[in-house]
Amino acid sequence: MSWVQVAVSQSSEDIFDEDADEMYLLKKEWNNTMKKRLKEGYRDGIEAGKELALQTGFNQGYRHGAELMITCGQFKGTLNALLSWCHFNGHDSALSTINNLLDVVGKYEDDVLKYLNSTEEQPHLGHILDSVQDMDLNHTAGTEYKEVKDGKHEDCGSSSENICRNNGEVGSLQSECRKANLCTDPEKSTLAWVKRQTVWLVEQLGLSLDILYHVQQLEH
Amino acid sequence: MADLFDGIVMAEQRFHGEGYQEGFAEGSHAGMAEGRRYGALHGARIGSEIGCYLGFALTWHCLLQKHTDEKNSKKMRALDSLIGMIQKFPYEDPTYDKLQEDLEKIRGKFKQVCSMLNIQSDFRIGTERSSLTF
Repeated sequence: MSWVQVAVSQSSEDIFDEDADEMYLLKKEWNNTMKKRLKEGYRDGIEAGKELALQTGFNQGYRHGAELMITCGQFKGTLNALLSWCHFNGHDSALSTINNLLDVVGKYEDDVLKYLNSTEEQPHLGHILDSVQDMDLNHTAGTEYKEVKDGKHEDCGSSSENICRNNGEVGSLQSECRKANLCTDPEKSTLAWVKRQTVWLVEQLGLSLDILYHVQQLEH
Repeated sequence: MADLFDGIVMAEQRFHGEGYQEGFAEGSHAGMAEGRRYGALHGARIGSEIGCYLGFALTWHCLLQKHTDEKNSKKMRALDSLIGMIQKFPYEDPTYDKLQEDLEKIRGKFKQVCSMLNIQSDFRIGTERSSLTF
């Protein structure tokens, strides 16, 4: 590299004006070279960091996703079992109720997946409630739902703020909460409602208390 | 002369190293986020599927409890077996070495149980609206 010779010769000689331009160019070359090394290092670093973190992140996310959905899945399985049982035993009137509940659970699952696929966004309370209200559920179910809507308001008034804060989206969730008159945590509201409906249904069908027990055990 | 070259090499390494550290931190951050997203979706699907089998089996187990004839006791044994397999399965652990193997066994057992109960096993366990078909 030519600049080496210049650097070496510099120790014993003065820098003349003619060399000033050369020095400038050499300095520029030095800077460019070092910038290149910096960029290469940055690229290498990104690759290495990403590779290491992907697996760790995957394992963490997997656990989180599985735990979120295991209860939902159990509701689905339970309702499907009840559906087939009702079909076999001629309880046709219950079929549409069960299908409606399955739709609610299915929609809830879709929302959870959307949330997991995005960046830390909570499922939109409004959407879940809209889809539930849109369904033409039978009278008793409708009444129960209305009770939930009105009743829960008091319970959740104080705790809602804390939950909202934890979610980090204080403004939007709080306004949704007031609009919905339901508990802030969407998990608690949707699956809790499904659980209550399922329990009521099992009672209506005159089925064994054991089924009620395992449904009650489902955490939401 | 050798010192000068050493100096150049060291300077290059230093710059490379600084860039590397900054890149590594960024890459880790991005990798974690991306990994978590993929992992969550995979875990969610498994959790949903396994949960569905479990809820289904537990419910049918309760439904058949009252009628204890020979045909039903075979069904009960199959249901017990399925429930046992699921409860032993570490559904939330992606590093489980027999994950795929056990999952296939559970799926097979579930299909067997469904055929014993005269139910089509392909009710949409996935993340679409599910309802049994007959």
